[in-house]
Amino acid sequence: MDAPVLSIEDLASAFGSNRVLTSVGFELRERETLGVIGPNGAGKTVMLNIITGILSPDRGRIVFLGRDISRKSVVDRARMGFGRTFQIPRSFENMTAYENSLVGAVFGAGRTEKSAGTGVCEILDLIGLGGKKLDPAGKLGLLDRKRLEIGVALASNPRVLLLDEVAGGLTESEITEIMGIVRRVKDSGVSVIWIEHVMQTMLHGTDRVMLLNEGRNVICGLPEEVMSSGEVEDAYLGSGIHARTERRG
Amino acid sequence: MLQTRSSDHAPMIAPGHRVFGIKIGSAAVVVIVLALLPLYASEYAVSVGILIFLYMSLGQMWNLLAGYSGLVSLGQQIFVGIGGYTLAMVTQAYQLSIALSFFIAAGISVVFAFIVSFPIFKMSGVYFTVGTWIVSEAMLVFFRNWEFVKYDAGYNITVAYRISMPALYLGSLAVGVGSVVLVFLILRSKLGLALMAIRDNEGAAETRGVRLYRTKLACFLISSVYTAITGVVLYLNITYVKPGAAFGIDWTVCMVFIAVIGGLGTIEGPIIGAVIYVILRQYLYNFPGISMIILGVVAVAIIMLAPAGIMGVLRNKFGFTFFSVGRQLPAGFGSIRKKAAGRRGRPS
Repeated sequence: MDAPVLSIEDLASAFGSNRVLTSVGFELRERETLGVIGPNGAGKTVMLNIITGILSPDRGRIVFLGRDISRKSVVDRARMGFGRTFQIPRSFENMTAYENSLVGAVFGAGRTEKSAGTGVCEILDLIGLGGKKLDPAGKLGLLDRKRLEIGVALASNPRVLLLDEVAGGLTESEITEIMGIVRRVKDSGVSVIWIEHVMQTMLHGTDRVMLLNEGRNVICGLPEEVMSSGEVEDAYLGSGIHARTERRG
Repeated sequence: MLQTRSSDHAPMIAPGHRVFGIKIGSAAVVVIVLALLPLYASEYAVSVGILIFLYMSLGQMWNLLAGYSGLVSLGQQIFVGIGGYTLAMVTQAYQLSIALSFFIAAGISVVFAFIVSFPIFKMSGVYFTVGTWIVSEAMLVFFRNWEFVKYDAGYNITVAYRISMPALYLGSLAVGVGSVVLVFLILRSKLGLALMAIRDNEGAAETRGVRLYRTKLACFLISSVYTAITGVVLYLNITYVKPGAAFGIDWTVCMVFIAVIGGLGTIEGPIIGAVIYVILRQYLYNFPGISMIILGVVAVAIIMLAPAGIMGVLRNKFGFTFFSVGRQLPAGFGSIRKKAAGRRGRPS
């Protein structure tokens, strides 16, 4: 087995007395899509924010290609090869789809505007925004905005792509399309961490699935194994019931 | 948008070059017509023109800060004051040339802006705004108590008496047009791409690798230097410099008015805003007691009716822009542009 692209070691994070992550640790391999599931409040997005440097953890290390990057800034990590999408698309609304992606290519991948142009256009074609390159991002629909999120992240030429609920709110066929895009991205040599609630994407669109619950990773393995393990049901239903009864008692 | 149309005829050439040429041409004609104004217009019209161009420059520079990099400064009068006082000291106290004062004003303001950036860039949002204001108030107090500049007495800038009105007009025109060209070139550059991203979403820009601090600092330095240069010309027109007026917040209040009324985050906005502001203010001299109230009412009315400013309405409703800083697709992708343009079907 190759050395992992990214290894997360014992992350912990708390907002005041509210402990969001107690201990999260896992490895992301070369050309792998790792699905992350877990109930609301399990700490999935917080974990992503820590990995990209938006939040800093109270404890733990993030090792990227053998280097400890725990103290690097958001910008440094973006330039090193972390591309991410946001649950609620954060596009540059007054800029066109093309310009949005150009930002990723120029500042994330460190290219010049001139040399990046063709590559950016190809990415927009790949993600299905080929005909809307010059549409302002603010005028795009939800699916197109989610596509653009992926496009901007890809334009920054990432080694690791972090997807935060890109399939949420989309129709069945749109989800299939997004899964196709993610697969092609992975095949091009990018490792992907994909947070999602839509089970279909986790079952068919990932190589491994990790369950996050109450701030720790409970189980990690092949998608079918994890889904049928009973832990998932526990996390989504069981522990919730326990917690509620405990609080009452 | 205008450029997209031309690609219908010349799909393989980088689209929009022809329209770009037409725009440059018409802009040049406008500048020439304006430059010849002293030959055919009244002295009063020329004096109003001077003010319009200088205030346009001030508005343009404030807009570069607030409209693009999100730095809402209430302290830009610092640099107007530096410009005015540099002119006074260089030409009166040292009897040196006016030309030299431009360079010295630029030099002093870039150093000063760089030094104050350390404390005030540690603050963000409203705190930054208050911080800049405090620095400018401190400058005012400092100048009032500084022997070198004759305390509160101020200076008559006598060299300015020898400058003819047409010469001053041409200088102001150069400063005004220069400010537009400067902002246009910045927005077309890599710095501009970063600024537009910051304008739209600061957090997202950072996640995409845009260095916020460096970008904003560059913007602050450029804006400060050009405001100081504008200040030199302003004081050639005013001919008398005094701390209270030079470092007064009135300067920044009118910059805000011009940029907000015209449309924040657009190049055209401060041009429109400056024309409205200067003409309105000339007219309001007839109502000395209530002129500020009327100005305030106009500002509130426009902000309520058109929060994005006049240019914002023109752009959002009608897709109109003159100074297009949008990026064009690389050559091979020109045909797609045509399709996209057709679908958008915006009236031009």
